[in-house]
Amino acid sequence: MRSRWCWLLAIYVTASVSHTQAYGWNMPVGVTDVSSDIYGLHMTIFWICVVIGVLVFGVMFFSLFRYRHSKGAKAAHFHEHTSVEVLWTAIPILILVGMAVPATATLKNMYDASDAELDVMITGQQWRWRYEYLGEDVAFNSSMSTPRAQISGEEERGEYYLLEVDQPLVLPINRKVRFLMTSDDVIHSWWVPDLAVKQDTIPGFINENWVRINEPGIYRGQCAELCGIDHGFMPVVVHAMEEEAFDGWLAEQKEMAKEEAMGVDREWEMTELVERGESVYQTICASCHQSEGQGLPPAFPALANNQQLISDVDWHLDTILNGVSGAAMPAFRNTLNPVELAAVVTYTRNAWGNDTGDVVQPSTVAGKIAQ
Amino acid sequence: MAPKLPPQPPLQHSTTAAADGQADSHAAPPKGILRWLLTTNHKEIGSLYLIFSLTMFFIGGIFALVVRAELFQPGLQLVNPEFFNQMTTMHGLIMVFAAVMPAFTGLANWMIPLQIGAPDMALPRLNNFSFWLLPVAFTLLLSTLFMPGGGPNFGWTFYAPLSTNFSPPSTTFFILALHIAGISSILGAINIIATILNMRAPGMRLMDMPLFVWTWLITAFLLIAVMPVLAGVITMMLMDINFGTSFFDAAGGGDPVLFQHLFWFFGHPEVYIMILPAFGIVSAIIPTFARKPLFGYASMVYATAAIALLSFLVWAHHMFVVGLPLVAELFFMYSTMLIAVPTGVKVFNWVTTLFRGSISFESPMLFALAFVVLFTIGGFSGLMLAIAPADFQYHDTYFVVAHFHYVLVPGAIFAIMAGVYYWLPKWTGHYPNEKLAQWHFWFSIIGVNLTFFPMHFAGLAGMPRRIPDYALQFADFNLLSSIGAFFFGASQLLFVLGIILCVRGGKKAPAKAWEGAEDLEWTVPSPAPLHTFETPPVFHRTPH
Amino acid sequence: MWPVVKSVLAALLGVQNNQKRQEDFNSGRPAAYIVTGVVITLLFILVLIVLATLAAR
Repeated sequence: MRSRWCWLLAIYVTASVSHTQAYGWNMPVGVTDVSSDIYGLHMTIFWICVVIGVLVFGVMFFSLFRYRHSKGAKAAHFHEHTSVEVLWTAIPILILVGMAVPATATLKNMYDASDAELDVMITGQQWRWRYEYLGEDVAFNSSMSTPRAQISGEEERGEYYLLEVDQPLVLPINRKVRFLMTSDDVIHSWWVPDLAVKQDTIPGFINENWVRINEPGIYRGQCAELCGIDHGFMPVVVHAMEEEAFDGWLAEQKEMAKEEAMGVDREWEMTELVERGESVYQTICASCHQSEGQGLPPAFPALANNQQLISDVDWHLDTILNGVSGAAMPAFRNTLNPVELAAVVTYTRNAWGNDTGDVVQPSTVAGKIAQ
Repeated sequence: MAPKLPPQPPLQHSTTAAADGQADSHAAPPKGILRWLLTTNHKEIGSLYLIFSLTMFFIGGIFALVVRAELFQPGLQLVNPEFFNQMTTMHGLIMVFAAVMPAFTGLANWMIPLQIGAPDMALPRLNNFSFWLLPVAFTLLLSTLFMPGGGPNFGWTFYAPLSTNFSPPSTTFFILALHIAGISSILGAINIIATILNMRAPGMRLMDMPLFVWTWLITAFLLIAVMPVLAGVITMMLMDINFGTSFFDAAGGGDPVLFQHLFWFFGHPEVYIMILPAFGIVSAIIPTFARKPLFGYASMVYATAAIALLSFLVWAHHMFVVGLPLVAELFFMYSTMLIAVPTGVKVFNWVTTLFRGSISFESPMLFALAFVVLFTIGGFSGLMLAIAPADFQYHDTYFVVAHFHYVLVPGAIFAIMAGVYYWLPKWTGHYPNEKLAQWHFWFSIIGVNLTFFPMHFAGLAGMPRRIPDYALQFADFNLLSSIGAFFFGASQLLFVLGIILCVRGGKKAPAKAWEGAEDLEWTVPSPAPLHTFETPPVFHRTPH
Repeated sequence: MWPVVKSVLAALLGVQNNQKRQEDFNSGRPAAYIVTGVVITLLFILVLIVLATLAAR
């Protein structure tokens, strides 16, 4: 009997002393100093509420039990007691003032983005993120990579269902990274719980934020502001690496960017463009125009057997570059590079029975954009 | 202070509308549909509001069940994201504007004249107009679901520019519907203030009024202050959508965040509008069934007024992650933390009313007690949300959804149900079936907690709001919430059944239906005749 | 003047006893309370702004 209680006590003490919180039930402690400060504030205010709740509900349930009319309780007749009321007003005020001090300190820290070692521009778009390493000429889109078949249940769901992207944001650990956040269309919100960074991205305005990651790893989050039909399908993934590894990665990216820029000038084969275009289409266009080009009319027109598309390549390209004013179709001239644009135009002109045989070269697109 | 009055003739009661028509100056009232279209009687209009609100509660509830059905499991099984966004939006709009607010207005219409000894509201024809605006407004709003492009799909908070530059064509109708509903609220509020300030029985001072009347007086001032702000912001939206202005469009020199400031300047007092009358109802029911006067009546009145005033100073706590300047962020954190004080004080007062009382557990009391516990839990999560740095992790997650559903469902809605069970004997002359009401109560408790408690964990674990599909670690919480939602929804049918049965029959109720009930409404017969207090009653002041 | 200010402050906190409340309501000068209420509210806002500005430095 006694030993059983000892075991229970030991388990209880170990569980409470362990600083890994109940996985999946509570806010994460996270991997930054800010995230752990926030976790501390959260747990403090939580326990304050628990204590107050136990006291108040304790008196209440005691009264409900002890002073039942059915057991013959006679009601007292006091109306008020000012000093008690002053006390139970003053004590909560003091508790709140006590909470406000560390909360203020944490907030000030969160607002101080000075002395950053790396600047990253984060742009929210319907429905993906765009990351640019300022001053490094490295920029790319980050779209959800969970296949639509998993969403519809045709395929089994992977471990990171809805929380995986084609290209994560790669960051170094132990360096202060400043984020400049904006949006190209509606308000989105960039959020990674493990980093405790959340900020609305507002079209036409730039918000500043920062992070200093302490541990390498992959951290996942989601868009946190309703932004249209695929609000639930534009995750955030951050891959935090050791500093050397990051520097190597960045150098590699700069090389690849140079090569892609050179790819604009050469002549591309139809098959290369169609292959690239199909991948771009499924990532970028299928959420509205659907994976077989059938669309969701009237909001999202069908592309398959679309006569206007088939007959007018200039109109087709112009629509993708500049969007359709007053409708949901955005402009893609800044989101996709000329290779991707040429590829997706070529793909859609030849897929699903459209079969125009047309090929649009990246150099043509680059020329159009320059006009 | 009170004017010298001539000796009072004995109170006259008229028992039927027909008899009343013969004794009174106006002709016999019309029968059938016209009676209800043209009534200026506060009891009939009160009933109209309540029936309208109950119907809209079920419609809004069905929208919620569509949402919960889709969220039952990961994946998209039932609806596409476009329609899902319409369901979440309409659920919010209907529940806020067509269920909760009209329910409180209905209770106000029925009970305020009875509680202050007035024969009717100050402006009876305006009262009729205020009600009939609502079916028009919400038929229009609901019809947008069938228009090309669908109904509003941008959340009940309809932030720009999603709601201006990226919205379906029906948005202009949504704006019109909200304008019409807003006018209804403003006119109703004017009526309530005029009635309370001018038509109290002689001898009834402001500080003798039941707390339900006080909370409605303060709520009415809040409504008049902020509904015009809502009207302003939706008009600016209308201009941006249809007339080429750029209030909320950076490209034209405007600012999307301006929308949020204006919306929440309305929105925050709005949530207090939705809870203050609930405080009034609970403050009537607990003393009745504890057979003990409300503890600290004066403090309760002052605390309500303080809450109303402070509610204007906290709006940007809905905007902590928008990029406010640090000083603003701190200001709103401090003001929001402080508003917890007068609210908490009220809970202490209710609990102290129970202490050393003589408590019985009829159905109105069950709902009122559940209100105290569960609303307080909602208040705790609200206090957590007030801590601005922590809010960066809570904002726009299911933690917020859990918070506001706790204060609105086992908060406002339970208080409304408590009020209905409490006052049904006065309205119908019968007690509601107590067994049925208890089943309704216990099923509702289970349903409400099963639905909304897991949402705290889903939010802390990282699940954002307004998503039609979710990552696998949120699956268990969503499963529980969806089961709870269907269970809760079904159990509300017991409420409807109980009301229908009570209207048609049941154990007869005397004028003073509940042993501990003290206010003026319990001096008129049950059911209350169509016209009451045609001669002002003699008001005997009971010491508060 | 001072009793009016005390009463308004008590009201803002939400705690008052019945006797003081009766005296206030029987004073016959609602305007004094309303004006004081408005002024104290503005002062309250000012205090919060000052606190927030100081804290932000």
